[in-house]
Amino acid sequence: MGQEFILLVSATIFCIGAFGFMVRKNPLIMFMSVELMLNSVNFLLIGYSHILKSLDGQVFALMIMAVAAAEVVVGLAIILTIFRTRHDLNVDHLDSLKG
Amino acid sequence: MFGYGWLVLISPLLGFLSLSCFGKRIPRSIAGYVACATVGLSFFISLILLVHLSVLEPENRVGGVQAMYTWIDSGQFQLDFAILIDPLSVFMFLIVTGVGFFIHVYSLGYMEHDPEFKRFFAYLNLFIFSMCVLVSAADFFFLIVGWALVGLASYLLIGFWRDKPSAVLAARKAFVMNVIGDVGMLIAAFMILETFGSLSYQKVFESAPGMFLANDINVILITLFLLVGAFAKSAQLPLHTWLPDAMEGPTPVSALIHAATMVTAGVYLVARCHTLFELAPFTMYVIATVGIITATFAGTIAMVQTDIKRVIAYSTMSQLGYMFLAVGLGMFSFGMFHLMTHAFFKALLFLGAGSVIHSMNDEQDIRKMGGLAKAMPITYITFLIGSLALAGFPLTSGFFSKEAIIMASYHSAMGNIAFWALAIFTAGMTAFYSFRLFFTVFQGDSRTPDAHPHESPITMTGPLMILAFFALTAGVLGHWVDGFLSPVFGGHAEHYEDGFLETIAVLVGFGGILTAGLLYMVPSDRVAQLREVLAPIHDILFHKYYVDEIYDFLIVKPVKAISVFLEDMGEKKGVDFAVDQVGVQVREVSKYVSIWQSGRIRDYALNMVAGMALVLIFVAFL
Repeated sequence: MGQEFILLVSATIFCIGAFGFMVRKNPLIMFMSVELMLNSVNFLLIGYSHILKSLDGQVFALMIMAVAAAEVVVGLAIILTIFRTRHDLNVDHLDSLKG
Repeated sequence: MFGYGWLVLISPLLGFLSLSCFGKRIPRSIAGYVACATVGLSFFISLILLVHLSVLEPENRVGGVQAMYTWIDSGQFQLDFAILIDPLSVFMFLIVTGVGFFIHVYSLGYMEHDPEFKRFFAYLNLFIFSMCVLVSAADFFFLIVGWALVGLASYLLIGFWRDKPSAVLAARKAFVMNVIGDVGMLIAAFMILETFGSLSYQKVFESAPGMFLANDINVILITLFLLVGAFAKSAQLPLHTWLPDAMEGPTPVSALIHAATMVTAGVYLVARCHTLFELAPFTMYVIATVGIITATFAGTIAMVQTDIKRVIAYSTMSQLGYMFLAVGLGMFSFGMFHLMTHAFFKALLFLGAGSVIHSMNDEQDIRKMGGLAKAMPITYITFLIGSLALAGFPLTSGFFSKEAIIMASYHSAMGNIAFWALAIFTAGMTAFYSFRLFFTVFQGDSRTPDAHPHESPITMTGPLMILAFFALTAGVLGHWVDGFLSPVFGGHAEHYEDGFLETIAVLVGFGGILTAGLLYMVPSDRVAQLREVLAPIHDILFHKYYVDEIYDFLIVKPVKAISVFLEDMGEKKGVDFAVDQVGVQVREVSKYVSIWQSGRIRDYALNMVAGMALVLIFVAFL
C-alpha cells in the first residue's frame, strides 16, 4: 500500500462524513458521520505510523478513540433528553438559539 | 488631664448605636431608659468636669485640648482627633446634656404610645452626641462635622412622623436652609486654612491678633462667612423660615433642638470665635443689627399666631436675636447667660405646650383651648413660671439675663439709642405675646366642650417642675457665669447699672402683661374689634411678612423654571437622545448581521466546511 492509497481512502471517508453531517437531519446519523470523520483521521494516522515506522501516530489514534467514546456518551445523553422533552429529533427544528 | 471628657461624647454615641443596630433585640420597656441613662451619664461627667475646672486656677482653665491621636498629618497641615475642654465647652455640655436629659425623661411619657418609640430615642441620642461634637471641637474641622451632624439629627427628628407630608416638607426645608449655612462655614474654614495654615482654634486665635489690623478685609470676609452658618443654624434673618416650620416635629424635639440647644449653636460659634470677631468691628455691628431686627421681627409675628408651638417658635427666634445682640455688642458672657436661662424657660414652655397638646388630643390651635388651669394644675403653674421668665418679670431668670442685654444695648461701647429702643419694644411685645398665649390657653372657659383635658404623667410633669425651678432661680447665676467664662473671653463683661432704664424696662414688661390680661384674660369682643381696626397690619403679621411667598417667587419658582427647561432641552433632547440613538443604530445593524446566526446546526457545519475549503484553497494555490 502506498501513500496515495492511504490519503485517498482517508479523504474519501472524511468527505462522506462531512457530507453526511451536512445533509442528514437525524442526530443519530449525524453522529455516525462525525465518527466517520474522526476515523478517517485515525486511518491516516495509523497508515503513516506504518510508513514512518513510528508509534506516535498510533498513540494519537488511541487518544482520539477515547475522546470520541466520551463524546458519544455525552452526545447520546443530550439526544435522549431532547427526545424525551420534544418527541422530535429533526435537528432543523432545534433552532431556538436563532439570533 | 481631662481625658475622661471623651465619655461625654461616647456615652450618647453608644446609646445611639445600640438602639439603632440592636433596636429589635432591646425590649421597648428598656429602650427609653437606655437612652435616658446614656445622656444622664454624660450630664454627670459634665458636672465632674465643671467641678474639676472650678478647682483649677483661672489661667489653667483654658486650652485643655485632649488629643486621642493625629488623624491627618500631611506636610504643613495637621489634624488631631481631639476635643477641647474649657469653661465654654463645659458650659455648653451642661446645658446640652442637662436640658437634654430632662427632655429625654419627658419623652418617655410623651412618646409612650408612639409605635416608633425606639427610633425616636435613637435619634435623640444621635442629636446629643452631635451637639457634644459641635461644642467640644478643638478645630474648625470638627466644628463643621458637628455642625452637619446636628443638621442631620434635626432633619431626622423634624421628619420623624414620616407619613405626614407637612413634616417631611418641613424637614427638607430645614435641611436646605441649614446646608446654605454649612456652605458658608465651609468657605470660612477654607479661608482660615489658607490664611493661617491651620484649623486648630488654638493656633488660629493665637496668631490672628498679630496678623490683622481691625477691620482687615480678610478677617471681615472670614467672619461674615462664619456668620452665614451661624445665622442659618440660629434662624436669624434672612435664613429663618425653617424654624417655625420645624414645629412639625414631635414637641420634645422642638424643645430640645429648636429652642434649647441646636439653634443656640450660632451664638456659641460667635462666642467661641470671639477673637476673630473682635478683630472685625464691622461684623460685630452686623451681628448686633441683624440680631435686634430679628428679635423685633419675630416678636411682631408671635403676637398674632394661633398655633401654640409657632408662637413659642417665633419667640425663640426673638430671644436668639437678643443673644446675637449681646454677642454683637461684645458682651459674650451676657449672650451665654441668656442662652442658659433661655434654654431653661424655653424648654419649659415647649414641654408645657407639649403637655397641653398631649392632653387636648394633639390640638395645637390656641383658639380651641381655654380654661385648662383646673384640669392641669402642674402644667398651669410651670407654664406661668416659664411665661414670667420669658416676659422678663423681675427676679425670674429671664429678667436678669435680658436686663443685662438691654442695658448693654445702650451703655456699651457699640450701643446706641436705636438698639435700646428696639430691645425695649421687643421686651414689651415678648411680655404681651407670652401672656396672650398663657391667658388664652389656661384662663376663661373651655372652647372645645367635648375635650377632656387631664394632667400628664409624672415622667412629663417631673421635668416640667425641675425646669420651672431653674427658670425661676437661674438668674442668680449671672455673676458666676461671667466669672466662670471670663478666662475664655479674656475678661469680664461690664454690668451697667442704670436705675432709670431698668425701671422703664420693668414697666414696659408690666405694660405688656397688663395689655394681654385686659384683652385675653376674660373673653370679650375687644380682641375682635382691635383686629378689625388693625386688619392690614394683622394680615401682614399673620402671614409672617410674606417672607415664604417672597422666597417662593424669587428663588423657588425661577429655579423650578430653569430646571424644567434643562430637563426638556438638556436631558430629554440632548443626553437621552444621544444615548437612545446608540442603542437604536446598533440594533439596526444587528438585524443584518444576525441572519448568519440561524440557529440550525447544519448551517453552521456548512459554513465551517466552506470556510475550511477556502483556507485550503488559499494555502494550496495562492
